[in-house]
Amino acid sequence: MSQAVEELQGSTAEIAWDGRLHSYRSAPDWMDRVSDELPLYDQIDDQLDPVTFEVIRNRLWTINIAHGEAMTRISGSPTFQALDFNMCIMTEAAEIAMNAPFLQYLASGSPMAIRYVMENFSADPGIHEGDVFIGNDPWVGAAHQMDVLVAQPVFVEGKLFAWVSNAGHQYDLGGIVPGGWPQNAVDVYSDPTLFSPFKLVERGVMRRDLEQMYRRQSRMPDLVALDLRAQLAGCRFATEQLQEACRQFGAPTVKAAMKRILDNAQRAFAEKLERIPDGTWSEVRWFDEQLPGDRGTHRMQVNVTKEGDRLRIDNRGTDEQAEGPNGFVFTGFAGSLMGVISVSMLADQMFSIGGAERQIDFDPTPGLLTCCDYPAAVSGGVMNILTHMNALMVIFSRMLACDPDVKGDLIGAGPEWPLLVLAGTDDRDSYFGTALMDASAMGSGARAFKDGVDTSGPAWSPLIRLLNIEASEQWYPIVYLYRRELTDGGGAGRWRGGTGMEEAVTPYRATAIEAITNTGGSGVSTHGCMGVFGGMPSPTARYLLAKGTNVERLFGERIVPDDIDTIEAESRELLRAKSNGAPFVAGDMLEAVFTGGGGYGDPLEREPERVALDVALGYVSTEVATDLHGVVIDGDGAVDAARTAEERERQRAARGTWTEVSARFGEPETPSSPATGEAPVSVHEYLEARDVEGHRVLACSRCERVIGDYRGDYKLGLLMHEGPLTLVPLVIDPAHFLDEEMVLRRFCCPGCKTQMATELVRSDEPLLAEFRFA
Amino acid sequence: MGYIVGVDIGGTFTDCIAIDEAGTVTIGKAPSTPPDFQTGFVDSIRATAGRLDISLEELLQDAKIYHGCTVGTNALVERRTAKVGLLATSGHGDAIIVMQAGGRLTGMAPEYIAHVASQTKDEPLVEKAMIEEVHERITFDGEVLVEVNEERCRASIQRLIDAGADAFAVSLLWSIVNPCHEQRVLELIGELAPEAFVSVSSQVIPRNGEYERTVATVVNSLIGPAMNSYLRDLESDLAKLGYHDTIHVMSCSGGLIDAAYARELPVLTIGSGPVAGLIGAGALTRAESSGHEDVITTDMGGTTFDVGVIRGGQPLSRPTTRYGQYEYFVPTLDVRSVGAGGGSIVRFDADTSTLRVGPQSAGSRPGPAAYLRGGTAATVTDADLVLGHLNADYFLGGDITLGIDAARDALSAAGEPLGFGAAETAAAAARIVDSQMADAIRLASVQQGYDPRGYVMYAYGGAGPVHATALARELGMRRVVVPLSDLAAGWSAFGVASSEAVVVEEVAKALTYPFDPDEMNTEWARLEDKVRAAMTGQGIGAETLEWERLADIRYSQQINQVAVVAPQGDYTPVVAQALVDSFEREYERLFGAGSGYAAAGFALTAMRVRARASVSDFHIARRDGTNGAGNRALTPKGKRDVIWYERSLTPEPTPIYDGAAFAHGMRVDGPGIVEFQDTTLVLRYGDHATVDAFGSVIVDVG
Repeated sequence: MSQAVEELQGSTAEIAWDGRLHSYRSAPDWMDRVSDELPLYDQIDDQLDPVTFEVIRNRLWTINIAHGEAMTRISGSPTFQALDFNMCIMTEAAEIAMNAPFLQYLASGSPMAIRYVMENFSADPGIHEGDVFIGNDPWVGAAHQMDVLVAQPVFVEGKLFAWVSNAGHQYDLGGIVPGGWPQNAVDVYSDPTLFSPFKLVERGVMRRDLEQMYRRQSRMPDLVALDLRAQLAGCRFATEQLQEACRQFGAPTVKAAMKRILDNAQRAFAEKLERIPDGTWSEVRWFDEQLPGDRGTHRMQVNVTKEGDRLRIDNRGTDEQAEGPNGFVFTGFAGSLMGVISVSMLADQMFSIGGAERQIDFDPTPGLLTCCDYPAAVSGGVMNILTHMNALMVIFSRMLACDPDVKGDLIGAGPEWPLLVLAGTDDRDSYFGTALMDASAMGSGARAFKDGVDTSGPAWSPLIRLLNIEASEQWYPIVYLYRRELTDGGGAGRWRGGTGMEEAVTPYRATAIEAITNTGGSGVSTHGCMGVFGGMPSPTARYLLAKGTNVERLFGERIVPDDIDTIEAESRELLRAKSNGAPFVAGDMLEAVFTGGGGYGDPLEREPERVALDVALGYVSTEVATDLHGVVIDGDGAVDAARTAEERERQRAARGTWTEVSARFGEPETPSSPATGEAPVSVHEYLEARDVEGHRVLACSRCERVIGDYRGDYKLGLLMHEGPLTLVPLVIDPAHFLDEEMVLRRFCCPGCKTQMATELVRSDEPLLAEFRFA
Repeated sequence: MGYIVGVDIGGTFTDCIAIDEAGTVTIGKAPSTPPDFQTGFVDSIRATAGRLDISLEELLQDAKIYHGCTVGTNALVERRTAKVGLLATSGHGDAIIVMQAGGRLTGMAPEYIAHVASQTKDEPLVEKAMIEEVHERITFDGEVLVEVNEERCRASIQRLIDAGADAFAVSLLWSIVNPCHEQRVLELIGELAPEAFVSVSSQVIPRNGEYERTVATVVNSLIGPAMNSYLRDLESDLAKLGYHDTIHVMSCSGGLIDAAYARELPVLTIGSGPVAGLIGAGALTRAESSGHEDVITTDMGGTTFDVGVIRGGQPLSRPTTRYGQYEYFVPTLDVRSVGAGGGSIVRFDADTSTLRVGPQSAGSRPGPAAYLRGGTAATVTDADLVLGHLNADYFLGGDITLGIDAARDALSAAGEPLGFGAAETAAAAARIVDSQMADAIRLASVQQGYDPRGYVMYAYGGAGPVHATALARELGMRRVVVPLSDLAAGWSAFGVASSEAVVVEEVAKALTYPFDPDEMNTEWARLEDKVRAAMTGQGIGAETLEWERLADIRYSQQINQVAVVAPQGDYTPVVAQALVDSFEREYERLFGAGSGYAAAGFALTAMRVRARASVSDFHIARRDGTNGAGNRALTPKGKRDVIWYERSLTPEPTPIYDGAAFAHGMRVDGPGIVEFQDTTLVLRYGDHATVDAFGSVIVDVG
């Protein structure tokens, strides 16, 4: 252990969230430590009329969109082009008044970094008009070292009026593996270079010495310089536009509008929370491969407690951090929650998450995988933020389904992001090295009233863009043999998840290429994401490297290979979820598969005609149509109604033979909650809370059978099937990657046999309560 | 020389204007006649001839016909399109289905982007079953990696024919650097389906980016057969009437193309309507001033608000346009639309406790509540009526009688949760829609590095002049022009008639710095030869062409390029360097001082040649019946109560003027309402309006 870390740990009696050992989090009294030398603009027009308010709100949204467009146009990097960034407009106290519709988990870091700067640097070196601060310290607001944050204070009449910021993913900032996701980094000292926030631009002038120091860390300094300029120009644009708005409307009026946006969002969020019953929702996920080659998997748990109009989130049940890039920092913990809230609860507030954040108590235990302390390696662990976020999307789906007015806003989870990095040199001796961002076209999760969208892009970054083949092939010495929509890539369900894609590349005019893989969660070994309410998980991603193939001979025969599984090859290797540097040479073929969203509801309830259409369009195979949906398609592609009815009956009957959960995991909690006298309320696609014989119970909403006590774990009252993960199409036996035994549990109502829940766990895990109402 | 005849087919009416040798403008209109639009076309010319007291044949004698054609646009919107079979490179047929994932949502309304659970994909332009993949492959450097597998390709084409394809689109990877495979596939289609309409991506738009290029190619084929039969029928109908000259068709690039070219590349006609308005504004600007004025055009109709920018006499252009969620390459003028118009719905939003306006529209059926056609939702038109800005008895020249009580009820209902009455809601709705339109103008100007405060606003469209003076104030613009005010309805037709022939040819390049002057000279010459041939093919003399060269340049590690005007003449290393210098200047203007980074080096990715030529001696007559020196106040025709909400909600008796009587040499001082046949000009306190020698109303915004 380094001396630096020993000192930090030794001096800490209680948790100090100061950005040294633990992440920086602003204490309630943080403003007391801001220097008097930084004058704050606090005039506010309390007469703001609702119309001016609406006008200013639209203006702020417009500024953010234009800010994003300007950044895309200046930047050189393919990752910016895919819109791997976000920007926001904040108050002088760094509350987010307006967030942008780009990568959602990035936004939360800005307030932390800015408050850190205000607390620590407002006296020296000071915060002045025209200054710009940048930083990528994961313990001070960055999601990981590659997401560099740029923040500019906006002054009006010489006083700090607001902040504008953006965070964007860089091409390369050093570290032991090109591209910024070193999987073999044991700690932060192997990660890309870390910069605590510093002032790069002083009163409008960039410090050339500091810029040089920054660029010097990168393998691709020119691209980094262009991206830095894009980020600086974006902030400058937003600053000027905000100042112009202040001139037009009067600064006190703009201030009042920003405050009202926050207050409205807070109120609207609180009101939505009030509609949801009090309780605690939990999800467990698995992070594979502490370091490449590790055949164990590591537990992550997130718990969300809703009480009245407040929300609390904690990470109890999560494994401790250890060597290797398998965790993430507080920014990711908080950012993933705010991102989910942004896209599923704040549509009318246009993503103004600052107000919602006031209703949230973050209660993480530091030192666990989802809130790592210094000096953990975290740059390569960033994909696990998405695992966490997808778990939260399942939790919020369950929460929002409790109220008919917000049920339509829920979105099921999308899959893990399998990141494929290619690095090397082309035959012109040009160095390249970055992630293919093609998983931008993953499918999205099913919703309460419709399917997920095929190849839509993830819900947590609504505008993310799939790059053209002709763009990628221009930069990287590869040829894409195919990139097409995937059959069976979405989770089955009453509503199915949208599907993803499969693509294959072969080197072209390359001198040397190495393939690096980085996948969140257990996205290669077990599943893409979970479904909800009995909907099935989506399949795993895969990276398959075929060495020494006959592609070149096929080319000569005027054939473009379209299936890696049937091509002749000297050897085939499934790359692990995390791997460094598999050589990829001429004649090799590398396939990457990224999948889609989870299903919603019992697959046997899906209309047979929809299944037939899916089969016709190639989204679902006939096998899955029959095995999971119970739909038999005849030779002409039409539904065979009689055999479908038979098959569905057969499958429901088979469910009747499933084990009673209580036989394995203990007795169901007998109804003990007193009746409330209230009408039955739907609290789940297939459950309602109702009064039965003096008790408030959870009952099946299909057959009215009482499942258990209102406050109990309803799954204890169900039938369960525990089976292999290969029940999900495209998934292979996880034993290929893991020593631990993983199982898929499906649960159905003992009465009507409706499939109500699924869970995917290590076989020795106890039953996990999806939720318990208070 | 006979009449210059401009005909613009709209969804409801076909407008015609005829300009005689003296520059006098006459307008006529007739109902549009879908699906045989050529009938309405001829009817509108006949109506104009009637106004001139001459026969249709007389009008057409020696005339030049210029045509704004929405046949393609309508076919697309109404999905009455050809059944297109798409041939794509093996492994890449799904690109048009995937739609660049979230990239498809760029430019959608904020409300739609924010409500993620409601998002979907637009219906496919080509069903999956109509996409076939061709085993072939060209690489980025133009090498043939896999030759065309002709046997399989023939089978694919045959399958598409059997599946009912009546048009084809061919879009293969890297055809922009080596089109030989696309050419071969084109030949194979020609053998198997000789009658079919075929579009080939490297001919439709040779630009890097297979998705946007494929969409352009498919759109071209979707409307190709309909446009072909329409233009063929039109030519034959006009020939029967004695017209044998070329029909010039308006394109979205801002110029006219001849009918033969339009039949090959109908995609160029999509979106040409709003572009024609922008061109008309440019033509009028040139006539009225030195031609170097900076103008922002605003066209506010029933459902949309279209913004265009003219900088130093040149309309701004952009490289792509959108059809719903589909984005495609096309050389087009930059006209941006937002969902704000007279029909935009005003409603209370409980979650934010505010009023919202649009983007939903009541359209024309049922239309605003005041139309009394069963619509109950309050709209911007209802607000304008309740504010007194519109005249219930003289809307569209009295064609529609507006019901003010219905408007009031609808507005009261919308504002009720805020405790707003009808007037207060109306004022609020007007302010909100004005701010939305102002934001759209900001995105089109400020974000492009232009400050609208130095610009003149041209306001047209039925609702445009109603809101223009408020918009101008919001943006700090000092002058509003209502162009040729009695032509408001025929404005697009005027724009078409005022256009020039334009031909653009471009080529994708991959030049690295320093750019090789010899290669550029060769390429410019090649492009200019192509353009010259296209022009002379239309009967336009090479000596009349005005040339422009453009180069797309970027820093070598960037993705997006900036189009820079390139010098004419022979290139030397010095000239090539001058081109780089102007790129750096333009870059810093767009993105701010210090944003450039020369150390990254430069890359030139495309060269483009554009030629234009006047195809008529179009000019507009001054109509100074008076000497213009007078400054006589126009006498109001009456008074009515108007709410000037920027002052108070108390109605004030305000003078109302007859637009038809408002002539050169007269003035109207605000507050006042000037009522024209097709539009209404609202003058606020401090505004002063005069009429110039051409009949345009000039408002100095107070």
